[in-house]
Amino acid sequence: MSRPALALRKYSVIASVAIREKFAYLASSTARYLTYGLFVFVFSRIWAAVYAGQASIAGYDRVMSTWYFIVAELPIFSFSAFFARVSEELKNGQIVYRLARPYGFIPASFAERVGPALLDLAVFGAVGFALGFALVGPPPVPAGLAFAVVPALVVSLVLSACLQFFLQMSLAMTAFRLEENDAFYWIYQKLALVVGTLIPIEFLPDAARAIARWTPFPAIAWSPARILVAFEPRAALSILGVQAAWVLAAALLSSAVFAAGRRHVVVNGG
Amino acid sequence: MRVASTLRFLGRAFAVNAKAVLEYRVNFFLQVFGMMLNNAAFAVFWKVLIDRTGGVGGYGFSDIMFVWAVSSTAFGLAHVVAGNIRSISRMVREGELDVYLLQPRDVWLNVVCSRTIVSAWGDFAYGFIVLALMPGVGLERWLMFLAIIPAAALVFAAAFSAAETLAFWLGDSQGISGALQEFLLSFSLYPETIFDPGMRWIFYTLVPSAFVAYVPLAAWRGLDWGAVGIVWAAALAWLLLTRALFRAGLKRYESGNKMGARI
Repeated sequence: MSRPALALRKYSVIASVAIREKFAYLASSTARYLTYGLFVFVFSRIWAAVYAGQASIAGYDRVMSTWYFIVAELPIFSFSAFFARVSEELKNGQIVYRLARPYGFIPASFAERVGPALLDLAVFGAVGFALGFALVGPPPVPAGLAFAVVPALVVSLVLSACLQFFLQMSLAMTAFRLEENDAFYWIYQKLALVVGTLIPIEFLPDAARAIARWTPFPAIAWSPARILVAFEPRAALSILGVQAAWVLAAALLSSAVFAAGRRHVVVNGG
Repeated sequence: MRVASTLRFLGRAFAVNAKAVLEYRVNFFLQVFGMMLNNAAFAVFWKVLIDRTGGVGGYGFSDIMFVWAVSSTAFGLAHVVAGNIRSISRMVREGELDVYLLQPRDVWLNVVCSRTIVSAWGDFAYGFIVLALMPGVGLERWLMFLAIIPAAALVFAAAFSAAETLAFWLGDSQGISGALQEFLLSFSLYPETIFDPGMRWIFYTLVPSAFVAYVPLAAWRGLDWGAVGIVWAAALAWLLLTRALFRAGLKRYESGNKMGARI
């Protein structure tokens, strides 16, 4: 077996163990699924009240805004736990055991975290889509294009998971140098919420929108949501391309932070 | 005499809890800052949305900000003073009440006030900051805010505590109290009018959002002190209910003979 194939097998095994563990304790996440469902319901009521007085805002009508929110919240609910776990591993010294094992720290963490998160995504997605159909009917997908929307949406959500992972990993690995790094994550999390999650970036004032487009935040929530509610094949390809570029940049950033940080690992005790 | 003694006890419990969390100052201020940042993110959302629409469900930006100020500060106060309100279920399940039963204080009060939640200090401060930034808030409105906050905090504390107390009968009620928290906060922080009239009775009964957000807003808008009285009446009713529930539940409590000490 070739080296890349062996590596792929190794990380697949790590992912599959983590997914099985997640599956065994899926019921323990019920409160989070309920919170997501409640959020979707409340925002569907907000959009109903908002659009009672006008048909469209920045090109979005009520159905688009509701479905936008349903999809935009998926990467937030499903892919937000990466930071805390990795950061904790670094702070409590668990990292030392991992560095000694025959795998790459970042790829192994990726398999271990992103695998179960995709399972979470499937459950959140099922809850969101069921609620969306019940509250406002089907998503505004152009007739005959559903076959293209579904794979584009799935790819976009997977890219979003990768981007969230590498960005959170980069922030978490600042714990190599800093004792307290939670504030970085909070700022990141809130920027992600404001820039494209709670509302589409098209709603932002011109100057804020122009700045937002140069940040990775729209690639987290806006991209998959936009693909679903305003699908157009060329625009979707461009959105996916931008997402892929941000994933690459974030992966390089996390490698650089890891390379710089691991030199500062100090082992005390045995 | 008994009220004075209870207040003295509350003051001392608060001072001990505050000292304990201030031991780790960086962590304390980070959590306070993080919670305020969390709340501020939603303020940005509402600002953008209301600038686009002019209002949502009859609420303008200042209405939304007031609702956030009162809910956030009251929620914060409840968890700063009575940080154990969300731990009763676990304590009942794990037999941790024994140590409180031996002490010469009201068990419920002693249990709920024996801890403070650090991030809640950020929630508590947030409302004051919002109000200070709001234009045209005169002395009477500040006084009204200060009169509403303890009552709304009591509603939060009593409602969460009542849900947690169900553990005496159900074994574990953290799921119910978690759901109540989500529902109470979610309904309180958004305009009442966006919800169907058929479901609004819930906000005045099972999920008392009305008394931590909607009635305080009505009081604030019309400088109506009568509405402040309604919030206090609801708070006292919830307090009596939760204490009666806890007392009834305590009769069913079985010790786990768990060794423990309070220092």
